[in-house]
Amino acid sequence: MNTPHGQSPLLEGRQVSKNFGGLAALSNVDFAVYPGEVMGLIGPNGSGKTTLFDCLSRVQEVSAGQIFFKGSEITHKKPYQVAHMGLARTFQVIRVYRKLTVWENMLLSPQWGKITPSQLFKPTSEAIKARARELIGFLLLDHVMDLKAGNLSGGQRRLLEIGMALMPDPDLILLDEATSGVNPTLIEEIKDRIRTLNQQQHKTFLLIEHNIHFISDLCSRVFVLNYGEKLAEGTPAELMENEEVIEAYFGA
Amino acid sequence: MGRWTLLLVLLFLLALPLPKFVGPNPKMISNALLFSMTQMFMLITLASNWNLIGGFTGYVDFGHAVFFGLGAYGTGVMMAKAGWPFAPALVIGALVAVIFALLIGSATLRLKGPYFSIAMLGTFVAMREIVRVAKPLTGGGSGLTLPPYLNRPLFYYITLVMAILVIWFIWWLRGTQFGASLIAIREDEVGAEMRGINTTLHKIVAFSLAAFSTGVVGGLWAYQNTFIDPDVVFFESRTVEMVMMTMLGGLGTVAGPVIGAALIYWLRDVVWANFLQFHLIVQGLLLIAIVLFLPEGLMGTLGDRSSTSLGRLWGRYMNASPQTPQEAQP
Repeated sequence: MNTPHGQSPLLEGRQVSKNFGGLAALSNVDFAVYPGEVMGLIGPNGSGKTTLFDCLSRVQEVSAGQIFFKGSEITHKKPYQVAHMGLARTFQVIRVYRKLTVWENMLLSPQWGKITPSQLFKPTSEAIKARARELIGFLLLDHVMDLKAGNLSGGQRRLLEIGMALMPDPDLILLDEATSGVNPTLIEEIKDRIRTLNQQQHKTFLLIEHNIHFISDLCSRVFVLNYGEKLAEGTPAELMENEEVIEAYFGA
Repeated sequence: MGRWTLLLVLLFLLALPLPKFVGPNPKMISNALLFSMTQMFMLITLASNWNLIGGFTGYVDFGHAVFFGLGAYGTGVMMAKAGWPFAPALVIGALVAVIFALLIGSATLRLKGPYFSIAMLGTFVAMREIVRVAKPLTGGGSGLTLPPYLNRPLFYYITLVMAILVIWFIWWLRGTQFGASLIAIREDEVGAEMRGINTTLHKIVAFSLAAFSTGVVGGLWAYQNTFIDPDVVFFESRTVEMVMMTMLGGLGTVAGPVIGAALIYWLRDVVWANFLQFHLIVQGLLLIAIVLFLPEGLMGTLGDRSSTSLGRLWGRYMNASPQTPQEAQP
């Protein structure tokens, strides 16, 4: 695997495979995300993108292969353990706490690695509240802070979920279709926020996206999955020219 | 001192001198009433405990009375067979309940939704039969007789203090990061785990805490009743009552189980006194009515009237427009 940044990868998958019964959802996928980049993951529906995310974030077990995060193997770790290590994600089907308010949702996603058992039995600390307030402002959710998450619009719920992922101050954020069901103005806002986080706070992103403009505007490298296999990898411009990708993804 | 602590202290002070008024002349408070109050404090404690796992964590436990039974038998066996005094025997009873909760919880809490509920119901029924079969230890079907001890005021005070402590404990837990995490697990377990909450550990701790005080109530009940056998202790209705009281009051609220337990206890007395033959039918109808009209319970309905049909009706009646889900503009 080439190392375009000349550094060791932040997140790396080696020969990752996942079978559901007889169906191979992922077969021998090799890939790496380097610190500080925004990488895209594209592919037709059912190509295994979300399954790959589930395996990386440890929500699902892999059938074979290894996963490394910050140089240590996480193949058999639990989701909360990789969260403590600095990996955060959002979900294609939004998982916010619908019956709680935006504010409560944010407070429930603190930096667990830094919470000692004694703090667990204390009220939420001021530091966590300050962080929540800052992120709510950053994601333009001030005016809906006291609304229940279930009453937000789809776009606002996406923003809230991104906020919850950012609460623990993670190093790597996996965003699963952050723009689906979101109106164009808000897509621009999300794009702008990702860019700010990447450039000013050096957060690394891996995005699953169907919106090709979003991908080409943000990502330095894109990775294409098709039928659970890696089809291609390269800059957005390179992939737009790639016949195989065009056939599989753009259906031309 | 918070509003809640103040209210609890007030209730406690009000209830404190009650046994002093017991007497034939002037008959202000009968021994029977004192006994009723004791029963009610026990039910409040039981419902509050069930609420910890069923209401806050979202794991609907249909076999929670198994911990009541284990507490009763742990205490009973130590007193009747080993001749221990009540206090250390009660500690053993509570420990048996907690240890069993740790063991069974680490298996059943991996199951989700109805699978967990049914696994716990199975555990409950199986434990009743195990107790029946373990005759040398438990006396089997013929039960155990504990040394009788009639001191109504003492039981009154113990159960009163216990109920107040448990309510205070759950109120306190609700405000901690741990309590908030339980609610996160209820709302979305996968999301909670991905955001760094060790869900398995949280669930097992909550489950064991609930089992602990349920076991204590079981032990107290055994001593007060002086006789236990598998059918009277492992009684399905006891779990149903815990569920019903919590649901009537409001799942996942601190005050809900307290209000629900008090209301249902009072209602049950009325129903028993007037239609003894039908009391289970009335109980069943009540449960259906709660689920249909008050799915959020009394506390939930008061908090957010738009959540129930009855609440919306009430809102319309009061001429105040009920809150509708606000579709805020992005």
